[in-house]
Amino acid sequence: MTSKEESFRNLVAEHQEMVINTCYRFVFNLEDAEDLAQDVFIEVYRSLEQFREEAKLSTWIYRIAVTKSLDHLRRLKRKKRFSSLKRIIGIEDPSADIASPQDNPAEALVGNEQATILQEALGTLPDSQKTAFLLSKQEGFSNQEIADILKTSVSAVESLVHRAKKNLHDKLYAYYKQQ
Amino acid sequence: MKQEFIMKPHNDNIEAQVAKTMELLDEMKPLKVNHFFRVRLMQRVEKEFGPDSKHSDSFAENRFTLRLAFFTLLIIINIGAAVLSVQQNNRRTTSGISEMLDKLSDDYTGHEFAYYDKSAAYTSDTGSHETQAP
Repeated sequence: MTSKEESFRNLVAEHQEMVINTCYRFVFNLEDAEDLAQDVFIEVYRSLEQFREEAKLSTWIYRIAVTKSLDHLRRLKRKKRFSSLKRIIGIEDPSADIASPQDNPAEALVGNEQATILQEALGTLPDSQKTAFLLSKQEGFSNQEIADILKTSVSAVESLVHRAKKNLHDKLYAYYKQQ
Repeated sequence: MKQEFIMKPHNDNIEAQVAKTMELLDEMKPLKVNHFFRVRLMQRVEKEFGPDSKHSDSFAENRFTLRLAFFTLLIIINIGAAVLSVQQNNRRTTSGISEMLDKLSDDYTGHEFAYYDKSAAYTSDTGSHETQAP
């Protein structure tokens, strides 16, 4: 085993839990979170030599995790839009009939409707607010670390979290009022 | 007042639902990592970066060769373009000279010099007159 592989193994062992949990908070699904975490570490392995020690290694890894998770959510949104467009023009999408992992009660967050509602509401938030809010809810991330991941200041993070909470509250309130 | 009294419990109910939904994130327990996660990851690393992969050294070498070939092609195209433009400039100067010479020769056949032709005709006429004279 090469020294690069050895150090990579140690790095994975150290950060895998945090990376999987970070991805999980964004996608609400274990399988997707694990796949994303794999992509994150592959990216880390690929660009480890290009890593400049301007930031902490952990910050850099979590930044990749956040970017990959946001990309995944964007892809899902696009896919949804495309399949609804297909439905409008009358093309049947066979993949739409297959239950997504979120539909599987065993895999879903708490196996209830609330998780889906929360995810939908989170999906409407701007990326920066969503990221700051979700990371602030995760154990192990201080505001300083979130600021480093988002390449911003602590006060900006506090403001983002505050706005995210307010927006989320308003959206959920409007949703439950309609029911 | 009565309406407010009726509306308030409804609003409180909505607030409670919102709070409960938002609490889901706080209640999320950290996930335990699957034992096979690292095994699968290392297999993927081996597959993508191992000696038989597209990311291996030979691939990098090939990429370098391709880049080199591309730059060489660019240089050749540049030199070719430069040679062509120089040749065109030369052609333009030679054609300029020939045009100037043509103009010079044209000058003698212009209207200004038409006199000589007429006078020539005149002398021949006078010549005929002279011959006609006794």
